[in-house]
Amino acid sequence: MPLKLLTQLSCRNLFRHKRRNLMLLSAIVVAVAGVVVLNSLLRGFQYDMQEAAVSNLTGHAKVLAPGYLDDPSIEKSFQLAKDWRPDVADDQLEGWAARIRIPAVIMSERETRGVQFVGVDPQRESISFLGSVAHRGEALQSAADRRVVIGESLAEQLDTDVGRRLVLITQGADGLNREAGFRIAGVYDADGENLEKIFVFTGIERLQALVDAEVVTEVSVKLVGNGAGESSIKDSLAAFFDDLDVLDWQELEPQAAAMFLFADAAMFIWFLIMMGALIFGLVNTLITAVMERIKELGMLRAVGMRPGAVVMQVVMESTLIMAVGVVLGILVGWLFILWLGEGIDLSRWAEGVEMAGMRSLLVPRLFMNDLVLVAGLSLFFGFVASLYPAWRAVKIKPLDALRR
Amino acid sequence: MRGIWRYSWLAWCLAVAASTVQAASPEPGLSADGPTAQELVAGALDLTRGRSSYAEMEMVVQRPEWQRTSKLVAWTRGRKDALIRFTAPAKDAGNATLKQGEKMWTFTPKLNKTIRLPFSLMSQSWAGSDFSYNDLSRTDKLLEYYDLEIIHQVEDDGHIIYTVEAVPHDDAPVVWGKEQMVMRDDYVLISQTYFDQSMQPIKRMETLEIGELGGRTFGTRMRMAELDQTDSYTELYYATMDWDVELNDRLFTVFSLQSGATP
Repeated sequence: MPLKLLTQLSCRNLFRHKRRNLMLLSAIVVAVAGVVVLNSLLRGFQYDMQEAAVSNLTGHAKVLAPGYLDDPSIEKSFQLAKDWRPDVADDQLEGWAARIRIPAVIMSERETRGVQFVGVDPQRESISFLGSVAHRGEALQSAADRRVVIGESLAEQLDTDVGRRLVLITQGADGLNREAGFRIAGVYDADGENLEKIFVFTGIERLQALVDAEVVTEVSVKLVGNGAGESSIKDSLAAFFDDLDVLDWQELEPQAAAMFLFADAAMFIWFLIMMGALIFGLVNTLITAVMERIKELGMLRAVGMRPGAVVMQVVMESTLIMAVGVVLGILVGWLFILWLGEGIDLSRWAEGVEMAGMRSLLVPRLFMNDLVLVAGLSLFFGFVASLYPAWRAVKIKPLDALRR
Repeated sequence: MRGIWRYSWLAWCLAVAASTVQAASPEPGLSADGPTAQELVAGALDLTRGRSSYAEMEMVVQRPEWQRTSKLVAWTRGRKDALIRFTAPAKDAGNATLKQGEKMWTFTPKLNKTIRLPFSLMSQSWAGSDFSYNDLSRTDKLLEYYDLEIIHQVEDDGHIIYTVEAVPHDDAPVVWGKEQMVMRDDYVLISQTYFDQSMQPIKRMETLEIGELGGRTFGTRMRMAELDQTDSYTELYYATMDWDVELNDRLFTVFSLQSGATP
């Protein structure tokens, strides 16, 4: 039996029960659109979190002195040649930065807090959140800048403001205490309150002078994009710094890395739940469609239609309606995402959200791979769902059917 | 609370604030121009250089909910070394703090534990008082971080009372906007007020009694208080004070800190 005729038959069968099939179609559309939107939100969350983790002074890979993670102090530092640069192709490298990052105590007239004191070269910090955050007052101007920038939340806690002086106490390379006064150049407003409370920045040369050592405690490398090829950069860094530890962002931010994997899994689980519910509706409709056509199918068999063609016809009906549903569903999902546009503002719950390391703006991200996967799996499930009704259709005996 | 005029709190409490009748310097305030602000402060500092002292004091820590009176003994040598040991109340007796230059240790006999204070603990309150460990450990070098100026002087009761204003340099490790000291011409500190960087007064150390101990006249009862809290302060009262005592080198060691040794 020619395929064209089968297709025609399937189509006509679908159109014969417009209302029923329209209901089924809309169920598919809603499910697929829901999956697409949720996927894109989860992807947005996932990549936001990765981006936050990476820009949280981490980078895709980082060089640290052995033992620094257990005891972050100026003793766990190393020297870096002035002309060093990572051995990465220019089109892969977004940037790199060397820093001193040591614990310190910060004091204002009224309060004292523990912080991470970070000496940076501001020109290099485009790779971290410091390069992109908004400052009240001024940002640091150079590696020799003698002022500090602190976070908005910390400024609130310390009851201080731009232009005021703070005292920072830390440990020098000789193990003795160092303290110095720093004017506040600016106050930054980062996406996470935790960042604002933890990081205090000054010029790296200033901090080197304070601790009396021309050393750094970390070199952080950021690659272009989402960090593809991060294992090769890790290897080349490890080969160069053979007596130091080289870690990638998953090792440095294990929680974010775990959440990243979890988001992948969550997408599949959500998809399976939606499709599971949908399949029963689909099977139900197809069986009804087969059952009400017993006479007709019997007649077709009696005039010589092969069982394979009967199966084909049912499968085709299912796949057709699924295909239309998937196309419309993706379209609806896409339109919905367009309507969301710049993202969902979570600031009403932002405190909790920021604690989870996310920004308060959730921007959906649509990936072609995800769409193809959703479409492919949907069609596959549509096919699987049609097998049982098709089997029922084949089981119809022409004689029994015609006698009814 | 931390803070404070940046030479050692000990320097203040044990010696600096103390002025001396034995002061070799010419009677200040009698020369035509009077002393400069630097001379007033540095002169007071110089009095203690290379000397040693032994003091018995009482410290009253007043808080809204409670009050505690402790007794302590302290030995100092120069401005580098100091050993302070609590003798009362019984539950605190034996707690001791040792200072060697910038390094500090505390010893708690109940735990039999000695801790070298990390920098992160230095700004914590010392023995629950209004002083921090930092206040105890300041060195005299910090004088260089201020611009000093006499902004006011009056004659009162046979003394000239100077008000010295100290404005920290831009990168000084000082949180205050400025400090004001009221000093007598014989170096007795009357009061010292700490201003925040919008020049509002925050806390004040006041001399409540001036007396003579060990042959020197100085403030024998002093109170440190935050200005917005009337019912919490720390008071120090000197019961005994001896100058230029013979002290064994071993006194200022971790071993002697732990052993509870007295010279």
